[in-house]
Amino acid sequence: MAAGQTASWRRVAADPALLTAILAVWILLLLFVLYPLAHLLERAFFDESGFTLEPLLASLVDSGHQAAFFNSLILATAVGVLGTALGFLFALTAVRAGLSRHWLTFLDAAALLPLVSPPFTTSIAIIFSFGPRGFITHDLLGLTNVSAYGFWSTMSAETLTYFPIAYLTLRPILAAIDPNLEEMAFSLGGSRWRIFRTVTVPLAVPGFANAFLLLFAASLADFATPLILAGNSFPVLPTQAYLQITGLFDFKGGAVLSLILLVPAVAVFLLQRAWVGRRTYVTVTGKVGQRSRSRAIAPWASALLVAACVAVAVIIIYFYALLLIASLVVAFGANNSFTLHHYEVIFTEGLPAIRDTLIIAAIGMPLGGFYGVLVGYLIARRNFPGRRAMELVAMINYALPGTIVGIAYLIAFNDPPVALTGGVLIIVACYVFRYSPTGIRATVALLQQIDRSLEEASSSLGAGSGETFRRITLPLIAPAFFAGLGVVFIRSMTAISATIFLVSISWTLITVRILENMTEMALGPAAAFSVFVIVVVFIVVAGLSAILVRLRAPAAGAAARSFLGG
Amino acid sequence: MKMLRTAVLALAGWLGGLAAAQAADPVNVYTIWPENYARPMFQEFEKQTGIKVNFLRFSSGEALARVIAEKNNPRIDVLFGGPVETFAAGIKEGIFEPYKSPSFAKLPARFKQVDGQWTAIADDPLVFMTNAGFLKTNNLKPPASWDDLLNPAYKNMLQMADARTSGTAVTRIFSVLEVNGRDEEKTFAYLKKLRQNVQVYTKSGGGGTLPTGLGQAAGGIFFIVDALETKAKGYDVVISFPKEGIGTSAEAIALIKGAKNPAGGKKLIDFATSAAMQSKLAELKVNFVPANPDVKTEASLAEVLKGAKIFPIDDDYAGANRKRIVERWIKEVLPAQ
Repeated sequence: MAAGQTASWRRVAADPALLTAILAVWILLLLFVLYPLAHLLERAFFDESGFTLEPLLASLVDSGHQAAFFNSLILATAVGVLGTALGFLFALTAVRAGLSRHWLTFLDAAALLPLVSPPFTTSIAIIFSFGPRGFITHDLLGLTNVSAYGFWSTMSAETLTYFPIAYLTLRPILAAIDPNLEEMAFSLGGSRWRIFRTVTVPLAVPGFANAFLLLFAASLADFATPLILAGNSFPVLPTQAYLQITGLFDFKGGAVLSLILLVPAVAVFLLQRAWVGRRTYVTVTGKVGQRSRSRAIAPWASALLVAACVAVAVIIIYFYALLLIASLVVAFGANNSFTLHHYEVIFTEGLPAIRDTLIIAAIGMPLGGFYGVLVGYLIARRNFPGRRAMELVAMINYALPGTIVGIAYLIAFNDPPVALTGGVLIIVACYVFRYSPTGIRATVALLQQIDRSLEEASSSLGAGSGETFRRITLPLIAPAFFAGLGVVFIRSMTAISATIFLVSISWTLITVRILENMTEMALGPAAAFSVFVIVVVFIVVAGLSAILVRLRAPAAGAAARSFLGG
Repeated sequence: MKMLRTAVLALAGWLGGLAAAQAADPVNVYTIWPENYARPMFQEFEKQTGIKVNFLRFSSGEALARVIAEKNNPRIDVLFGGPVETFAAGIKEGIFEPYKSPSFAKLPARFKQVDGQWTAIADDPLVFMTNAGFLKTNNLKPPASWDDLLNPAYKNMLQMADARTSGTAVTRIFSVLEVNGRDEEKTFAYLKKLRQNVQVYTKSGGGGTLPTGLGQAAGGIFFIVDALETKAKGYDVVISFPKEGIGTSAEAIALIKGAKNPAGGKKLIDFATSAAMQSKLAELKVNFVPANPDVKTEASLAEVLKGAKIFPIDDDYAGANRKRIVERWIKEVLPAQ
């Protein structure tokens, strides 16, 4: 996929649109990724007497931290593998099982639920269902003394929460595989299993790698789920780093721990690059023959796929039914009479948070979508000095635990020259640079499937790189744009770990209110807020899909809808 | 280009307007008390002085981390509520401006920092809280001694706070130390035994109250204000005290060094340490014990506390040993299962 052109500044300089884009991206990355990171490094490695490695060495020999490091790797690997498998199951079912529109919408909606709610909702539902007095373990199965804390529950919760990312990554890739390829293999006498193994799966490899990377990084950085579910026998690094800073008031130790965490994140990223980079996966060539209905999957296999997906969907829906009930009763578990009072509370006392969150999400969404596509395009399609560095730097804020990004932003942007704390921009920037990597990866994965000859044809007909990007590439990667934009919006509505440090007296967030309500034991308003968030995200996502269908070619519209589950 | 400039100017004006919208210099506050306790106090302050309080709630660790990070350009005037040990950690970071309110002289020694770096606004004893249904099913009496919590019937069923994040936990551990005559070996032997009955150590002090209310956990050790709030919500829980005694922790307030509105901040501290606010506690059923000697503890709260043996944690001793004890707890107690 690397271009045949040599990477030279001269070539870049000859293309003003490209040069501007590269410089703009670098300035943004410098300011919002490297600058805060430098402040963090300064905290970790400098004290009054100058440079010191002592905190790092102390962390490395600490047996508790070593255990946390390996636990983090085990957890992230498990979540990466299982989440990718589950995402592939859903994607394959959606693309190849020949489901009707209604069933598709149902599966999409169920798969999106975990993605559009604050992370700890799944955790709470798991405790209510599988704890010592859980509805399932105790009330249904009659088990006593079951522990809902530890590796298994943490892994299940993270897998359920993050597998939609794998689904969103894999589905357009499977959809872009021309069924005619499978059809050809079929008519050449290949068995279905063989075709699946040798045609479908290899074509989806960039998707697998991307999905695994995204899930691995997400799990590695997640602190909210382990904080609630990991208990005390399964410590992981992000939680340790968080506790180090907020509990033991030890900035230095926390900064060091999160830098240790960055090592596996970078390693997996480089591995994935090396692995995917060696093969070609072009299936969109502009020369697609007439599409035929896929016969690549046997009817019984189809039925099995659907059944498995429905089973997962039912579990998810059950979890969220609990949430809905909690929002509609006086005191969950103690007084189960119906009330709308919690909704009244969130629309009066909670109104400023709702307003701020919507404004922030609305600003961040287009910025994040455009930034993701631009960086993804530059990385996948352009050759310029520092391309790999750009790709790596763009992933940093995603790979770091949110707490650390939040603290780094707080330290870096509290004082001049760039004093941003207390304003709205710091929160927006945090979301854009932390959550756009999904859009970047989606763009890269999609572009790897699109033959470069389409763009080359445009160039040879005299279009500049800006025009080619706008008229050829952009429509082709519209699904990735909307995926990126959707993810930034969703995260703006649901994320908390970084932004809890960035909210201010003038700008606060719904998620912070939810956590606050949990602290006050006000489960009702917390649940009502969560339901509100889910409803808003679903409406916005459906609206986006509708607009897209109207504006773009039907194919792009369908792909985007599938992305966003409208 | 011109349009862009107009747009930028308009945006800047709007953002600036947001900041300047409130007249009469409001006081900016981070509160560690949950909003439902803090909000009525600030409303009362506003009513009495006409000064608006802008506030944001954080847990003690988060609030402190923020104030430290903002040290060079403070965003708030006052840090409100939260256990004194958080404030003690803050003194080391040099984030407070000493200030002595009119009530300062009246307060007993353990309710103030000598130089006025912080002043106590309330007292918050620990209690045992258990789920009534659990006690009944297992034919247990409410725990009346520290050793009652070691009963195997509670195996894997207690929730209490994690010493890494929670002041509640630190107060709890120092309570056990006091009960054992500050004998650390005996104390840690007990804590390791107690560990066998602990389902999970929660991030915040009140984290286990709802699970206890719901029966997900059998009980735990909490601050009285959280325990009584659980009861008030309608959950069937029982509050009891150990006969050997249990510790209490003061809740404090402090002025931030470099505050943009020190005059307003001082007024808020005057109010919070006065009888005016602390008598509100009882009125609004916020079950902290008042620190100001002029305010009587509300009758129903006094009833709960009657006969309980409660002792203050010695600040000097706790301050000098906290870090070491907590580290030992992390190393020895946390993994001991």
